[in-house]
Amino acid sequence: MPGVLVYVEQVDGEIAAVTRELLGKGKELAAALGGPLSAVVVGSGVGALAEKAAVYGADTVYTVDDPRLSPYTTDGHVAAAKVAVAATQPALILAGASFQMRDFGAALAADLDAGLVVDAIDLKAEGGAVTAVRPSHGGNVINTYAFAAGRPVVALVRKQSFPEAQPGAAGSVQALALGGAEIRTTVTSVAPKTGAVNLTDAAIIVTGGRGLGDKDNYYRLIPPLAEALGGAYGASRAIVDAGWVPYEHQVGQTGKTVSPKLYVACGVSGAIQHLAGMRTSRNIVAINKDPDAPIFRVATFGLVGDVNEVLPLLTQELKARLSR
Amino acid sequence: MHIVVCMKQVPRDNSVKINPDLSINADGIEKIINLFDEYAIEEGIIWNEKHGGKLTVLSMGTDEWVEQMRRALAMGATDSLLLKDPAFATLDTIAAAKVVAAAIRKLGDVDLILTGRNSTDDESGAFAPALARVLGWPQLTYVGKVIDVNPGNKTITAERHLETVVETVTAPLPAVVSVIKDINNPRYPSLLKIKKVAKVEPPVWTAADLGVTGITSAVTITQRVPPPPRPSGEMIDGPDAAAKVKKLVDKLLENQII
Repeated sequence: MPGVLVYVEQVDGEIAAVTRELLGKGKELAAALGGPLSAVVVGSGVGALAEKAAVYGADTVYTVDDPRLSPYTTDGHVAAAKVAVAATQPALILAGASFQMRDFGAALAADLDAGLVVDAIDLKAEGGAVTAVRPSHGGNVINTYAFAAGRPVVALVRKQSFPEAQPGAAGSVQALALGGAEIRTTVTSVAPKTGAVNLTDAAIIVTGGRGLGDKDNYYRLIPPLAEALGGAYGASRAIVDAGWVPYEHQVGQTGKTVSPKLYVACGVSGAIQHLAGMRTSRNIVAINKDPDAPIFRVATFGLVGDVNEVLPLLTQELKARLSR
Repeated sequence: MHIVVCMKQVPRDNSVKINPDLSINADGIEKIINLFDEYAIEEGIIWNEKHGGKLTVLSMGTDEWVEQMRRALAMGATDSLLLKDPAFATLDTIAAAKVVAAAIRKLGDVDLILTGRNSTDDESGAFAPALARVLGWPQLTYVGKVIDVNPGNKTITAERHLETVVETVTAPLPAVVSVIKDINNPRYPSLLKIKKVAKVEPPVWTAADLGVTGITSAVTITQRVPPPPRPSGEMIDGPDAAAKVKKLVDKLLENQII
């Protein structure tokens, strides 16, 4: 049956938001392809998670539950996914586009000799064929892909591309066995990153750039504004390279690509490499003293002013108005 | 030991044009080594200096790539290899991985392959995992620190830096590793070395040399367009900073953005 298989991504033992998005879109695509929507939960002790996943629209949620599958290894999770692929023969396999899922999805596609699209922002199924849309070249090019007939398609999808599925009637849960899998990598520790910021998940991001003047100003102005908005804080490449802020905060072509609901760029000129990482944000506020800064060309709201004067006022105003 | 670094040439910025045949036109834009591949080259140099042997930079591209390969040699790579064939021009990532895998098999003695986490033009990050699977080797992607490469035990231990966690992972060699930006600080090539490698021509292997004629892509690009323009924004004005800030917050609240 030419259906859709969704790989259920786990975050801190819960179903990732992107999985609920994929189950929603997957239902529509499976209907267009004329097959069922299946999901697969891979890991150790994942029965309860499969029950939770089953209310988001999949006809069947498969589990591949085995102690060898926790923590994540490419060998283990690809082998498990292939068991589910063999059981469902999907035309389309969907997963999120996080680092771990890129590791997994590209390996799975290579094993299946499948068509592969990474970081898709839209998917269609018409006449039994899947097409996908993804940006490249720092968002300056939007590509549409078609796939060879008779081979499955693996699509890794950017978060927040589709609305989340709403809970409803539960589908069935069915266990599959991993069987023999050679797992060659040994994971000796999995440690949370200290002070980690998951910029790619944040709904609001406040980013600082060279216009702040120095490192002290960054920390004096940017984190408090982010806190007042309930968001995360990012940085331009220039100030990461200057050593003001750790790399994991960097937004842009060589940092993180983000699509938050609100992106506040403070003292960021808007170099093309920076725009590449944030231009898909739904709303952009730009604050810069140079009225000709390129960042204003993508801004929803632009404010010309000195960040050192504007940001404390803005933080104060937001705290008062949002009662934070 | 023999380390291979897979590197790609990319346009310095991505303000590229789209040709009528849907290929990318980056004429007039400076070409550079893909930024993440520079970190892979540096990491290769570090472990080559420690263990000796060869460090080959391998690229699939045209003669245009040679200049960047010379830069890698000037940084400290010992060998270079260019895979060049008109048939390679339009391959998708998995098909390209099959070609590179054929070259690795032909080299025969490779212990470790390093590459950047993704190219800054295509941005998929799929090449390293695809190459590892085609070769049947283990993979360590998004590596932020190589803790040890042990040619005696034939193992590599490294930290994988994901969005919110760091995994410490050991894999048997040969393996494929993709690296992220904070793994090291790539060195600048010395003028002396730049002069020394200025005329080096890398060996070239074609599809026939590799026995890979008939590889096809599973993915075809059917449309390439610039992104839709963002609706024009609104400049917030006012007599002073405080007035502008008030107006901005009004707008954010009115539009239910916050």
